Amino acid sequence: MTILAIDTSCDDTAAAVTRDNRILSNVIWSQAALHAKWGGVVPSLAKRAHQDRLPWVVSRALRLARANLPNSANLFTRHSFGVGGPNSPNLIAAIAVTVGPGLAPALEAGIHYAKQLALLHEIPLIPVNHLEGHVISSLARPNLPNSPNLPNSLALIVSGGHTQLVLSFPSHRILADTLDDALGEALDKAARMLGLGYPGGAVLEKFAKQGNPQKYKLPLPLLGRENQGAFSFSGLKTAFYRLVEGKELTKQEICDLAACFQSTALDHLIRVVSKTISHFNHSSHSNNFDFSDLLIGGGVAANIELRKRLRKLGKQFDLKVHFPYSKKLCTDNAAMIGLAAQWAFARGEAAKTQAEINLIDRQPNLTFPSL
Amino acid sequence: MKIINLGKSARQTAIISAVAALRRGGLVIYPTETVYGAGVDAASPQAVAKLAKFKSRPLGKPYSVAAADQKMAERYVKLNHTAKKLYRAFLPGPLTVISKLKTFKPFSHSSHFNHFLAPGVASETGTLGIRISSYPLVTAIVKKFGRPITATSANEAYKKRPYQISDIINQISDRKKQLIDLIIDAGPLPRREPSTVIDTTLDDPVTLRVGDIKISNEDKILSRSPENTQNLAKELWQKYQHFAGSPRCEAGRRAIIFALEGPLGAGKTEFTKGLARAMGIKKEIVSPTYNLSNEYSPALTINHQPSTILHHLDAWRIESGQELENLDFAGIITDKSVIAVEWADRVADTIHAYSEDAVIIWIKIKYAKKQNERLINWGIL
Repeated sequence: MTILAIDTSCDDTAAAVTRDNRILSNVIWSQAALHAKWGGVVPSLAKRAHQDRLPWVVSRALRLARANLPNSANLFTRHSFGVGGPNSPNLIAAIAVTVGPGLAPALEAGIHYAKQLALLHEIPLIPVNHLEGHVISSLARPNLPNSPNLPNSLALIVSGGHTQLVLSFPSHRILADTLDDALGEALDKAARMLGLGYPGGAVLEKFAKQGNPQKYKLPLPLLGRENQGAFSFSGLKTAFYRLVEGKELTKQEICDLAACFQSTALDHLIRVVSKTISHFNHSSHSNNFDFSDLLIGGGVAANIELRKRLRKLGKQFDLKVHFPYSKKLCTDNAAMIGLAAQWAFARGEAAKTQAEINLIDRQPNLTFPSL
Repeated sequence: MKIINLGKSARQTAIISAVAALRRGGLVIYPTETVYGAGVDAASPQAVAKLAKFKSRPLGKPYSVAAADQKMAERYVKLNHTAKKLYRAFLPGPLTVISKLKTFKPFSHSSHFNHFLAPGVASETGTLGIRISSYPLVTAIVKKFGRPITATSANEAYKKRPYQISDIINQISDRKKQLIDLIIDAGPLPRREPSTVIDTTLDDPVTLRVGDIKISNEDKILSRSPENTQNLAKELWQKYQHFAGSPRCEAGRRAIIFALEGPLGAGKTEFTKGLARAMGIKKEIVSPTYNLSNEYSPALTINHQPSTILHHLDAWRIESGQELENLDFAGIITDKSVIAVEWADRVADTIHAYSEDAVIIWIKIKYAKKQNERLINWGIL
């Protein structure tokens, strides 16, 4: 099934064309691409900018995928290869759009545009949870025509806005969530305290590489309570503030402090994930919740140190660990929304009539249910 | 396309040829301490358009520029305290520091707002990334040229990093090769990471008059733990909740704003957690920094009355009251909601403007002596 997907949950305007679990195009108009990413929404631009950019981003996604919308006297046919008939493999069969979570006015811009397209071209509209996109993003393949079965999985979403461990497929249940800051946000804020700008999580990683993670002692959050299904980074943030406040830092101190913060934050993350898995392996539910794969999604999934530690964890618990195959799939994008939409469609969540399509609304606080 | 092989004798020739090519609006491929860079005159719209063609760059992606020294940088941008510290510690070197342009006027026509730079070099929000290379040849070229040149890597967007000239030449079409005017070939470069980009613009001092915030009947406590801070929120809620309403409730009710001020990690979200619990909200309150605004409703509505909604806003990345209005601040005040605003000092003017329509409780949280201690002052604005 060929899907045109749209995501405007954050400051980037994104559109993509996907077929099964293959990505045909993935276009992002990034207004702050030079800046280190996973920062969040840019307030001044939230709604208007999306409205201005959507037509361009969507038509570019279609063109790169050599795809057409049905019933349209479109401009691309002449340049397409073997495309045009109603059974053509690149004829868009449905539109998918992110309905949440995100900033309401930003979501609204994408939903409004997607509705117009679906009604105009008389194809279904599939509302998608942005977080399901992150869960599924690591299963995308650049070049495999057949969709695999979805494995029973644990999924870890680590981004600027979310830190969640989720039991996935066929439905999603939260096993652990943050009590305060998201991991990406905590790394961003630590970078700021070191004078590395904001958002600076990706910068922090670079400096951490040249630092000694043992140099300073930071308290591990929720030590001894890692089995309670919670992450927390605000205490760590406070301790870090106390450590750096009012000091003139040398180059080496900045590197060491970056290494210590990142290392402690990741220690905590891994401890909670690991305790939660052991809990499941030993509990009486284990037959009902059998999982073989660990899926990682979100902007922080690009962090090399995080990848190293999660691969080690995978070995320890005999889980197959999947990361998105490109950095572009880690941060917010529309391709993952297209992938998630395939499964949402199979679950019967597509709006097909005009009345159903009109009912689709933004859900800024959308989340997965807890276990 | 001319190629100069950089030997000792050719250095001066390379500098002169590069400057001549740049003056003609040409595209120069040059070595740096990281990867090969693609340089054009950052002030020439034609040259920057040529570069965009060469890079096949997605729209909206600005270019950083190479300056000869801090003085040249300061002709274009305002360096704040953070930026100055970074310049001192890390430049020249593989670091790109983003600052605000000096002459940026938002929403004016793009070709007019900055006569120093071609459109597309700075970001849409009026920021510019500047780097000062530690590779002496680059600095020598820029110095002689007299103004910044673009400092983007010499590969197409999403293609292999260029550590030698063949990495560039073998990847591009003949048509693209024709766009290059000069290549300065220093042989294979050591495989170092591209420069690190640091955005300092959010550290700018806030443009508001903090002196205007006058709290009457000021109270204060020493909070010894996050729980203490949450309890204070609960007490303040109990004291003021009789004002709280909802969109269609009777007259006399008003919106309540809890304006929270305090440094990173002080406990602003902690306070909001306490407030939410006191209001009967079951959902976990998390930091709104990423989303700017989160909305929560209490779990139960008594007698089918529309319930009071809690809006949790974060003004950290908000730069003007107008941006707060974009989040429909006026609307949530009309709805008589409860609003917790973190970093309220950044938008004090806008909040102040609603003092007729809302009860404003200003809360200042400061770090105290011990690890978990906070000094909290509060009062009605």
